[in-house]
Amino acid sequence: MTRGQQFNFALKALKRDLAAGELRVLALALVVAVASVTAVGFFTDRVGRAVQRQAADVLAADLVASSGSPVNPEWIDEAKRRNLNTALHTRFPSVVINDDDESQLVAVKAITESYPLRGTLTLATLEAPDVRADLSIPAPGTAWIDPQLRDILQLSQGSLLALGAKDFVVERIITFEPDAGENVMELSPRVMININDLAEAELLIEGSRARYSLLMAGEDADVDGMSEWLSDNYATEARVQGVRDGGPQLQRALERAERFLGLASVVTVLLAGAAIALAVRHFAYRQADASAVLRTLGASRSDVISWLVIRLSLIAIIASAIGVAIGWLAQLVLADLLSTWFSLELPAAGIQPPIIGTLTAFITLAGFGLLPVIKAGQVPVMRVLQRDYSDLQTGSVITAILALLATFCVVWLLSGDAKLSAIVVLGVVAMLSVFALFGKYMIRAVRKVAGPRFRLSVAGLERRTASSVVQLSAFAMGIMALLLIAIVRVDILAAWERDLPEDAPNVFVVNIQPDQVEGFGQRLEEQGINNNGFFPMVRGRLAAHNGESIVQDDMSERDERRARREYNLTYSNELPAANDIVDGQWWSEDETGLYLSVEQEWAEEYNYQVGDTMTFKVAGVETTGTIRNLRKVDWESFQVNFFVVASPAMLAEFPQTFVSSFYLDGNFSKATSGWAREFPGIATLDIGAIVARIKTLMDRASLAVEYVFFFTLLAGTCVLLAAVQSSQGERIRESALLRALGASHKQIRHAVVSEFAILGIIAGFLAAFFATLIAWALSREVFELPFSINPSLWFFGVVGGALGISIAGYLATRRVLHTPPIVALRHSA
Amino acid sequence: MNDPAIAATSAQTAPLVATNVVKRVLGPGAKSGSAPEMTILHGVSMQANAGEAVAIVGPSGSGKSTLLGILAGLDAPTEGSVTMQGQSLGDLDEDGRAQLRATSVGFVFQSFQLLPGLSALENVMLPLELTQQENVKERALTVLDEVGLSHRASHHPLQLSGGEQQRVAVARAFVSKPALLFADEPTGNLDTATGERIAELMFDMRKNLNAALVLVTHDDDLARSCDRRLRMTDGRLSEL
Ligand SMILES: Nc1ncnc2c1ncn2[C@@H]1O[C@H](COP(=O)(O)OP(=O)(O)OP(=O)(O)O)[C@@H](O)[C@H]1O
Ligand SMILES: [Mg+2]
Repeated sequence: MTRGQQFNFALKALKRDLAAGELRVLALALVVAVASVTAVGFFTDRVGRAVQRQAADVLAADLVASSGSPVNPEWIDEAKRRNLNTALHTRFPSVVINDDDESQLVAVKAITESYPLRGTLTLATLEAPDVRADLSIPAPGTAWIDPQLRDILQLSQGSLLALGAKDFVVERIITFEPDAGENVMELSPRVMININDLAEAELLIEGSRARYSLLMAGEDADVDGMSEWLSDNYATEARVQGVRDGGPQLQRALERAERFLGLASVVTVLLAGAAIALAVRHFAYRQADASAVLRTLGASRSDVISWLVIRLSLIAIIASAIGVAIGWLAQLVLADLLSTWFSLELPAAGIQPPIIGTLTAFITLAGFGLLPVIKAGQVPVMRVLQRDYSDLQTGSVITAILALLATFCVVWLLSGDAKLSAIVVLGVVAMLSVFALFGKYMIRAVRKVAGPRFRLSVAGLERRTASSVVQLSAFAMGIMALLLIAIVRVDILAAWERDLPEDAPNVFVVNIQPDQVEGFGQRLEEQGINNNGFFPMVRGRLAAHNGESIVQDDMSERDERRARREYNLTYSNELPAANDIVDGQWWSEDETGLYLSVEQEWAEEYNYQVGDTMTFKVAGVETTGTIRNLRKVDWESFQVNFFVVASPAMLAEFPQTFVSSFYLDGNFSKATSGWAREFPGIATLDIGAIVARIKTLMDRASLAVEYVFFFTLLAGTCVLLAAVQSSQGERIRESALLRALGASHKQIRHAVVSEFAILGIIAGFLAAFFATLIAWALSREVFELPFSINPSLWFFGVVGGALGISIAGYLATRRVLHTPPIVALRHSA
Repeated sequence: MNDPAIAATSAQTAPLVATNVVKRVLGPGAKSGSAPEMTILHGVSMQANAGEAVAIVGPSGSGKSTLLGILAGLDAPTEGSVTMQGQSLGDLDEDGRAQLRATSVGFVFQSFQLLPGLSALENVMLPLELTQQENVKERALTVLDEVGLSHRASHHPLQLSGGEQQRVAVARAFVSKPALLFADEPTGNLDTATGERIAELMFDMRKNLNAALVLVTHDDDLARSCDRRLRMTDGRLSEL
């Protein structure tokens, strides 16, 4: 036969298959696999990019290279060469003076026109602070200021502000600065000027603590390339910050969301793959008879195999097209929801997800189906004369290897991580072996204890031990995956909730003088604000470690700058909230020694241990303490946190200020309007916008998590269907026989349903066990979440498994019972 | 050649199909586990000439189906040779034998072996489609009419009675005008009256085509209406 004829023949056969519902489960499994991979892919891709874009807002760029000296022109050239947009800003602390000679410490940011590259800077005039009045850059000789500064210095539109050697006209107040979060620790109100005014104002004199930044934005690949180029060539000069280096909260939320989505889509594909595997083997098995007849009539083996392969390919192509369409629609609906809920522009969908989805379908089909199909095509023709001459043997080492290879390829395709893929494959093998082994013994055990009422159903299980074990493994695998995704999902959502409770502090107040603490505390109380306490803050440089000077003669410029950096120190007799001791002990209140507590990661980086001494230079005086313990700090809590905490004996006598943080409900500027006058010198920082932004991100990510779970559920259902289908033919014949022998409908239904229920209970039990095990490992190693044994897991696993599978079993019996025994028996002849 | 089955035939023309001392031994194969080696056919020689009807009778399990399978090239003998239309089946590979079947052989089975997914007409069309012939549908309909089932053409096997299914199978066996017809207990699943009608149909159509028939049957009447009768006992064949 020519290829064309083979194709026509296969096409006809396919039409008949579809009409007869022969390929229903296989097609469904394929559609679900492709749709879920596509939808999840589309979705993670688009949301991922949107989230990344938003994270870029926090930097005002995709990539920032900053340095203590003016930006190297080579960086700019390289960025341009890589088609990146660029902007510059220079930041430094300075002092401004108003007409009344009142002065205020400010954080100056001199910008170029293209700043910000990501996100928007919103402005308003001083007369109408609630109306947006954006400008692209401060005109030379003008300044934009923080509303706080307006209050402190009583400025109005057009007021003059002396900064360095130049007077600036106040033109705008800054209502939103996208990358303000970065500057929280600058601790003073912002003044923005044109970068070209820097020279005239003579602001950047030798030794000024300026930070020069080059902002860059563009295509991902270009940005990555630039980032690499910088760290390859200018590792010591440039501090490079990408989107991923955002705040710890954001970063972890992002990572967890991505890992979860990745996990869920891998699990979904594995499930859909299992369904495809079961269905395609079922198909091959059913085709063995037809293939023998066709060959008796003179078809060649290769013809028969070609027809089967063409048929499967056609069904895969059709299912992939439908799957891609469904996946695309699903993500469209969701993306639409997302953008209306969060007013978020999602970037357009890429073309990778449908390709990966389709590839997944074909790889799974080939991996699990090719060999059974070939065997079906080669089945001994003597079958037509002697029914049981030879059964289709599909279990073999090669089948297993092919299947594992397919699994590996699919996971690799999805995760791009060969090691992970190998782990997944090994895990699946181990799990299936345990399922098979335990399943067999559990079926036997159930048989021993089953009463006469259940004899029939258990007998059914035993009669079909092999297919029962396959079904059991499929059920257990499906339930396990669902349970796993369900718990990890709940854990992640709970962790996010914990990270950012409703009343997470959104205001920081710094620079409170010791004599202001009491008054300010009262003021907060009057306004009904619950603050989290006042923490003393002492600024000092690290001078020596174990008596050895930190600054060395042979140090590079960068290391020296780093060594000379100022630390914010605090002292306390109590371990700060949200901190845990990981080494050593906290000191007790009646110990009066000079002790230190150091943040664990910092200590590890610089190799400091409990028992070492550290010398700080505070206000020109050195003070030395011994490290008593290392602390793990939960940076995700929006509390005031310190790398170094000292005992009061060490720092209490030094000049200090206080900081506080609290949650402010309502309008920030209204609530804080009088504070600057009443408590001169304090600085109030509104991080509400940052908190809100992180919260939005997490909300989005949780929605994505819920959404992907739905697809996992769908894939689980496919496995259930495929597993039920795989034994249905056998079941129909058997029940026809039983009915012919006089069994009632009720008896047969009872037998089938309880058989499935027993399978469900065993599968649920095994599934709950493995889900717990894997969730434990995942929460420890991958998601870094606390883990707790979840009793409801066992309940849902066992009860849900038994219920879900018996319902499927009941539906299957309806078909069994509605097939007249005579038809079933005739069919089996 | 001292085999009685051969000695009894004196036709000078080359036989359409013949076996020469065919042995079939089932080894202790992987499938049958530790089952011991078993000889099903102990050197069987037989032949069938053009237009001749040969019946094979014998007790259940004696090896009749095995022999039929070997004659038709569905199975290969452990020892000995089979020739069909002058060609040694041992020289052909699986697909070569399939091709020979497609052009020259028709089959009727005890269990009908219609493809359940296809309608009666489509089942009959199948052999013609496999050999890529013209006017497939018309020719299939004509033969279906000959067996009296043109009004059930679009029905599927499960919607047909056993006798009707077997008539469709007969139509399928003859549609490609084979020179050789094999039938393994074609009436075994049918009541006597229906069985008789099927047999009649088969013999009529065979006569029109002048095809050879090798028929395995338990039905003595049916065996008697054949030109020659052979008896299989424990894998040995003898002339009746
Ligand atoms: N694959 C096999 N494995 C084991 N034994 C086999 C196999 N195929 C055939 N046999 C045995 O070979 C013997 C002959 O089988 P065969 O089917 O040829 O008998 P038969 O004469 O057609 O019987 P019946 O009249 O019942 O159809 C039987 O004993 C059968 O059990
Ligand atoms: Mg037989």
